[in-house]
Amino acid sequence: MILEEAAFVALGGVAIATALLALLVRELVHTILWVAVFFVDLAAIYFLLEAPFLGVLQLGVYAGAVTILLLFGVMVTRKRIFSREAATGIGPVPLALALLVIVLVGTAASVVPSSAQPIRPYDVTDLSSTLFVTDGGWLLLLGLTMMGALAGAIYLVREGRE
Amino acid sequence: MTAIPPVDFLALSAILLGIGLFGILTRRNFILLLISIEIAMNAAILNFVVFAAYSGTGGGIGGQAVAVVLVGLAATEVAVGLAIVLALNRVRGSINVAEATTLRQ
Amino acid sequence: MGALDFLFGWAFLVPLFPALAFVLVGLGGTRMKRFEWGGWVAVALSFAAMVVGVLIGVGEMLSPGTYTDTSTVWLTVPGPVGPFPNGFSLVMGTLVDPVSALMLIVVTVVGFLVMLYSIGYMHHDHGLPRYYAELSLFLTAMIGLVLSDNLLEFFLFWELVGVCSYFLIGFYYEKPSAASAAKEAFLVTRVGDVLFLLGVFIYFATYALAGGGAGWAAAGFKFASGNGPFLGSLVTGASSPTLTVAGLMMLAGAAGKSAQFPLHVWLPDAMEGPTTVSALIHAATMVAAGVYLLAVTSLFLGFTPTDQLAIVAVGGFTTFFAATMAVVQPDIKRVIAYSTISQLGYMVLAVGAGFTMVGMFHLFTHAFFKALLFLAAGSVIHAVGTQDLFKMGGLRKHMRVTYVAFLVGALSLSGIPPFAGFFSKDDVLASVYSQLGAHPAYWPFFLLALGAVFLTGYYIFRAFFLAFHGDRPRDAALPAAHEGPWVMRVPLVVLSALAVLAGLFVFAPPFAHLLAPGFTVGGIAPALQGVALGANVPPVYGTTDLALSAVSVALAGGGVLTAWRLWGNGRVYALPEGSPAAPVRRLLLNRYYMKVGYDWIGQRAVYSVARAADFFEQFVIDGTIRGIEGTFARMSDGLRRIQTGVVSDYAAYVVTGVIGLLLLLLFLGPWIVTALGGG
Repeated sequence: MILEEAAFVALGGVAIATALLALLVRELVHTILWVAVFFVDLAAIYFLLEAPFLGVLQLGVYAGAVTILLLFGVMVTRKRIFSREAATGIGPVPLALALLVIVLVGTAASVVPSSAQPIRPYDVTDLSSTLFVTDGGWLLLLGLTMMGALAGAIYLVREGRE
Repeated sequence: MTAIPPVDFLALSAILLGIGLFGILTRRNFILLLISIEIAMNAAILNFVVFAAYSGTGGGIGGQAVAVVLVGLAATEVAVGLAIVLALNRVRGSINVAEATTLRQ
Repeated sequence: MGALDFLFGWAFLVPLFPALAFVLVGLGGTRMKRFEWGGWVAVALSFAAMVVGVLIGVGEMLSPGTYTDTSTVWLTVPGPVGPFPNGFSLVMGTLVDPVSALMLIVVTVVGFLVMLYSIGYMHHDHGLPRYYAELSLFLTAMIGLVLSDNLLEFFLFWELVGVCSYFLIGFYYEKPSAASAAKEAFLVTRVGDVLFLLGVFIYFATYALAGGGAGWAAAGFKFASGNGPFLGSLVTGASSPTLTVAGLMMLAGAAGKSAQFPLHVWLPDAMEGPTTVSALIHAATMVAAGVYLLAVTSLFLGFTPTDQLAIVAVGGFTTFFAATMAVVQPDIKRVIAYSTISQLGYMVLAVGAGFTMVGMFHLFTHAFFKALLFLAAGSVIHAVGTQDLFKMGGLRKHMRVTYVAFLVGALSLSGIPPFAGFFSKDDVLASVYSQLGAHPAYWPFFLLALGAVFLTGYYIFRAFFLAFHGDRPRDAALPAAHEGPWVMRVPLVVLSALAVLAGLFVFAPPFAHLLAPGFTVGGIAPALQGVALGANVPPVYGTTDLALSAVSVALAGGGVLTAWRLWGNGRVYALPEGSPAAPVRRLLLNRYYMKVGYDWIGQRAVYSVARAADFFEQFVIDGTIRGIEGTFARMSDGLRRIQTGVVSDYAAYVVTGVIGLLLLLLFLGPWIVTALGGG
């Protein structure tokens, strides 16, 4: 028990810290490094929540693919990849808005009954049947969205179009 | 079995959402904007997973299913976002969103 | 109903002929140079209208009765509406009865003759397609008015003839005086029209409130079948004051259209239009529509005694009042215009005294001899190019046809036997005289009408002698006079014949049927008609009537002789210096200063009200609107600033909105759940 709580505190703290660091460091490439750590950390939290499939997905998609994509984007758009435009300061209004959202969502979350229920054991058969049979429509929708996004992305980056 | 109350996870999710929103509001670099969106998105996915985990035996694996879909969606979004970054860079020579004010017209 | 009913079923065709001319000439007139710019088209179609119109008139003579066709429903109001449990419908129907048949003959015959005359008279003018199109439209509207079978339809055509009158008075719209005369005619008649419409509403409301009879529920203000006023008998719930007011409204409408005192001011000025227009619209047909309105009202709706007194007063007074102004006029057309007002007064007088058909008889004869006078005057104007009587003179030698035509018209107007005007005027006077015993209040108006007989003989022969007698024109600059082309001479001859015969028609048995109802008292014409009709109508021509006829003829002859003494043989009578009559003459020439008075009302009274309204509009209404507008402009100016185009800013707005939603849910959420009955 203690071990799990300690793991949660550590992983949560790392998540918050890396998220903040990603936004606050000056170098764009460092940002991507911190984001990668954030993604991995979140994957660990999914394992803690007995959702190993999602954790693996998180590792593959986020920590792997998305990070590489972002890195790629930085390299293409920056002539000097280790520079970034002057970091903008921490504006009081965005800060206030963000804090307000945290407080409000936290308040809303506090409504959830805190009586600790056992975490549901992970069952991959269950998940796959839900994904492909019960809620198959969602997956179909995701596929269509991805196809549309693919077409859109190709359209956007096509050479010679002004 | 764990004794961590779900509220703790939800609080973590709220904090991450706040950080993401803060980034969206302040960062002028389009790639940083994308990263901020990803952080906020992850906070949302975490929420689904938490509720799936604490939903008891009555079924809640659906939450995880939604999370899977959302991960795919987020990846898609990053791809499109990066396409926009490239197009923006080609047309304007900059990816500073504060300069891209054509929305106003 | 007889075997001729099928004929009346085609009555709707009559107005369609000139309507076709209106469309053809109006759209293609400029390409019809070979047809005198569409003039011959209009003439041909008005001839067709005349043929059918006269056929229907003859049919009505042979088979007297009331024929209505109400198959064309204009508007259906499904019930239950107010007092109509089954709703009601408004009909564009046709009605043929003795009165409308008489009017139909007048309108189509005079319309055709004037149209034909126009070919010669208007030959040198510009804008002829417009002229013929408008004249055809007028004819359409006038025939439609005559054949209307309910008050609403009547009102529509009534307005249409009004607007045609406006167009045609302003035909020479480049002339400021013509343009302003057109406006004056339109606005002055408008006063009457508004009151008329009010009267229509009152009648409708009265019938509606009374529950209406079987025939009335269908169309509240239909001219009902039957011969005679039955308003009082049918509408038991209608109070006398209401009907009196409604009748007075009808009188006001008629006074506007028929130029009766005090709405007479527009008719003399309407002489700014072409003379043909004056002959057709402002002598024979449209101005008679007012009398026709009074006639149908009196026949189908009925007047109260108060109404009758008012009508008699207006008619009798106008008769004399207009005649006095004609006495001093130097303008040949204006003399005839005032005589028209005066003669219309006789008709109104007769209708008011309760003798509708007597009024219609005078309308019938008047239409011909007055159109004749106008066309003869037009022939003179066409020849010498001026309307000033004091420049003319000696035209007798060069214009024999016109001379004779004008003489016939003048004799008829004066009421010298055996010309048509004598019979009808004698009949009017006799019928009013017969009522004097029962209504002593009619006395002054009877005497005024009698006095006007003398003035009529005087002023029309003053004009006649000034224009035609003497050796040569008083103004040497006038061009040599010549007779007009045949298209102008033929109508003069035909109308001359009619001016003689129209009075004698009465004695022809078939025709007499048109005038039969209510045509039984006084005067020589009904007496002779009674003889013609056999035992149906007893001759009631007694010693008193004979004396009255003698007096009226003597007065007219006296007027003619006075005119001969003062103006005959090229003499020009000038008032002696310092004559006590000089101020009177000035008063008459200035038309009793009534136009000045109306102008004062318009400029001072109405203008100051308008200025106050303008102030209110500018500062109160506009001020409010400008204030609101300015507030929104400032608000939008502020709002515009948040449209930066930067994505982050929009994101901030979204986040703010999300926060708002969250707050709402947190605070109102429980309440909403409770309100929806949830747990």
